[in-house]
Amino acid sequence: MEIKKGIGVSPGVVISTAVVLDAEDLLIPRRSVPPEQAPAEIERLSAAITQANEDLGKLRDRVTAEVGKEIGAIFDFHIGVLRDQSVIKQIRNEISSNSVTAEYATSVVMRKYANTLLQLNDKYLSDRVKDVYDIEKRLLRLLIGQKHEDLLHLSRDVVVIAHDLLPSQTAALNRQHVKGFATDVGGRTSHTAIVARAMGIPAVVGLGNITSEVSGGDTVIIDGARGVVIVNPDREQLEEHQEAGRKFDLMETELRQDAPLPAQTRDGHQVSLLANIEFPEDIDDSLLFGGEGIGLYRTEFLYLASEHEPSEEEHYSAYADALRRLEGRPLVIRTLDLGADKYTQEKAQNPERNPFLGDRSIRMCLHDIPMFKRQLRAIMRASTLGDVRVMFPMICTLLELRQAKMVLNDVMEELEDEGINFRRDIPVGMMVEVPSAALMAGQFAKEVNFFSIGTNDLIQYTLAVDRTNEKVAGLFCPAHPSVLALVRDVIRAGRRNGISVSICGEMAGDPLYTLLLLGLELNIFSMNAPDLPEVKKIIRSTTMEHARLVARRVMSFESERQVMHFLREETRKIIPEVF
Amino acid sequence: MKLKDFIVREAVVPVLEAGDRDGAIRELVTSLAKAGAIGNDAVEPILAALIKREQTGSTGFGKGVAVPHVKHASVKQMVGTVGRSVGGIDFAALDHQPVYSIFLLLSPENQPQQHLQAMNIVFTNLQDDMFRKFLRQSETREAIVELLDEADQGK
Amino acid sequence: MCRGAGEAQNEVRDSFSLNIMSRASRETSIRNTLGLHARPAMQFVDVANQFSSRVTVYKGGDEPAEADGKSVMQMIILAATEGTPLKIEAEGEDAQQAVDKLAELVEDKFGEE
Repeated sequence: MEIKKGIGVSPGVVISTAVVLDAEDLLIPRRSVPPEQAPAEIERLSAAITQANEDLGKLRDRVTAEVGKEIGAIFDFHIGVLRDQSVIKQIRNEISSNSVTAEYATSVVMRKYANTLLQLNDKYLSDRVKDVYDIEKRLLRLLIGQKHEDLLHLSRDVVVIAHDLLPSQTAALNRQHVKGFATDVGGRTSHTAIVARAMGIPAVVGLGNITSEVSGGDTVIIDGARGVVIVNPDREQLEEHQEAGRKFDLMETELRQDAPLPAQTRDGHQVSLLANIEFPEDIDDSLLFGGEGIGLYRTEFLYLASEHEPSEEEHYSAYADALRRLEGRPLVIRTLDLGADKYTQEKAQNPERNPFLGDRSIRMCLHDIPMFKRQLRAIMRASTLGDVRVMFPMICTLLELRQAKMVLNDVMEELEDEGINFRRDIPVGMMVEVPSAALMAGQFAKEVNFFSIGTNDLIQYTLAVDRTNEKVAGLFCPAHPSVLALVRDVIRAGRRNGISVSICGEMAGDPLYTLLLLGLELNIFSMNAPDLPEVKKIIRSTTMEHARLVARRVMSFESERQVMHFLREETRKIIPEVF
Repeated sequence: MKLKDFIVREAVVPVLEAGDRDGAIRELVTSLAKAGAIGNDAVEPILAALIKREQTGSTGFGKGVAVPHVKHASVKQMVGTVGRSVGGIDFAALDHQPVYSIFLLLSPENQPQQHLQAMNIVFTNLQDDMFRKFLRQSETREAIVELLDEADQGK
Repeated sequence: MCRGAGEAQNEVRDSFSLNIMSRASRETSIRNTLGLHARPAMQFVDVANQFSSRVTVYKGGDEPAEADGKSVMQMIILAATEGTPLKIEAEGEDAQQAVDKLAELVEDKFGEE
């Protein structure tokens, strides 16, 4: 029984079986065996060790012959460990005393050794940890053989334990069965956190070395609100957490019951609540939680989830799927907004020095018109299937916007020439997330059908803060008066020019800011599905009069602290249990 | 695909006489006809189509360049040419600035792939700041052709 | 009973069998700059495995510990750095030869440097 503390990034409690992801996604299928099977497991272990020794011996000989003795010698340690009787005895003991499978015992014992080596304050020795993991992997492969599970083909509920989760891994997992995440590294804004919140499952990150403490098959409790992970809990802890889980689920169910109710203030003012999604599948939950449509479809995952750039058909298929699920409700598709993340930078031939401010997003698209057109063609073709709107990200100059629109027009021309149907009057909007766009919102408003304020990036650019940098992430704050001023002005510019304005950044789903945004005359909020019920509750419990008063007060404040304190107080007055 | 696959060298106009959009386009189309790239009787219909296309949406992409283009029945084979204006022409461009370099592209009606490829090559080159600058400075037909050849090799 | 050369050698007559169990030990210390890392540890284990006796290594210093001299894993976990005092003990028929050969290896800096 181990209690580990990390950063809770997505609330909820889950008690489930762990699968541990290593770099090769090797998972342990089974843990326990009936006691009388222990001897058979010991046999399997011996066979695997013998085979591993043979393989390693051959490998060493071949490498020595081909490359040299020095290099061949790196396998000596592996061979030494596999011949180490005390190690083998340990694994055998684990099998017989705990009635577990050979693979589970191997994993437990090897990870214990890895842990011990990590604790030693000797860099050279902790380098051997890699070797230990290699040995573990070699034995596991021999024991598990070809029939190993992968995250896509799970047959039971699990929680995923990993060092870190890459977009390619989260994009390829079975959403039905994955019930929680726990990772060694990461913070509130890392990819794991974002996906967990979007999926509405608990997640704890920054645990340090959870991957060496958990073996596939272990029972694990993840408490995403408190940031705690318990490995192999005892009965007391199980009961305690089951209770906490029940309470959380109850609260969620209650909130969900309000889903069909309109997002209307007590004095009759109606707003739209929409959801942000990464995959068409997310739409089901979005509707369940009361979303009236999709305010932001992040199309990046179409690119991240596979090795190649998605074809026009792959785009089209995803959009068609999304529209089918929406049954006529609106879908705002944001064109490719990639490039500044480490995943694309790692693949790039010449990684940029400051990708954050570099050739990303719309800029990248305008430098690769064929790629841009592929996505736009798919969007235009899908426009006949439902209420589709297209939105350009990271627009910072009027020229960029006009060029993007020109490419869109070209696409329409081509489709017309080919005799393919599309909706010519498709609403075309832009993300307002760069300060230049926010400051010139009045001019931009004349050239688009709608705005969507991307507060996440707007705050980063305005306060010059990288929210994924743990050293300065504390400076990232939507409540900063400068940010609030920009938001207010963009909303105003939109209203003055008769276009709709939404906010699709995290601020829209944060109940702390609902009153304020309402009072600033924001009519459309787009957020992660699990955030919908609470925001709706606040809206339904207040009046526009009150919200406007709150906003007026807030806009006179000088500091984030004042703003947040005041908002907390005011929100508690109408909904005491929200914080 | 390379620029030299469709740009008709003899039709390149290093110094456009016209100071207005429609006049400049006419000059380029006529130049193509004189070079034998299109039939003389095709000039007026093609011109009308080009101007109509400009009216629908300016091809002045910004940064001093424009790419008027059209697909037309009278065009048997994809052809294009380049024109240079010293004084600048009002093309109602996206950035409201004058246009100094014009790439004209004419395509047959049923070869969408080729047309796309040619447009892409032209666009890619025009995105390059250096290319645009040199083009603007190239005062003779030879200089322009040389620039296009270099661009073809560089890519 | 014969007494052989070497320090602190005793013979213990195991009253339940006819085997004569020898015990031997030598005290020494790590001479290598890099300490007892993987390569020397493996060498040590290889040599120890040449003998039938049980081999135990006791580490002195701030954090005393012991390890099975024939287990490469236990030997590297000992994390014996330069200067760490070691006591090599063996029990069995060839105990004396074992500790002598092993101490020699250590004092020879495992052939490094």
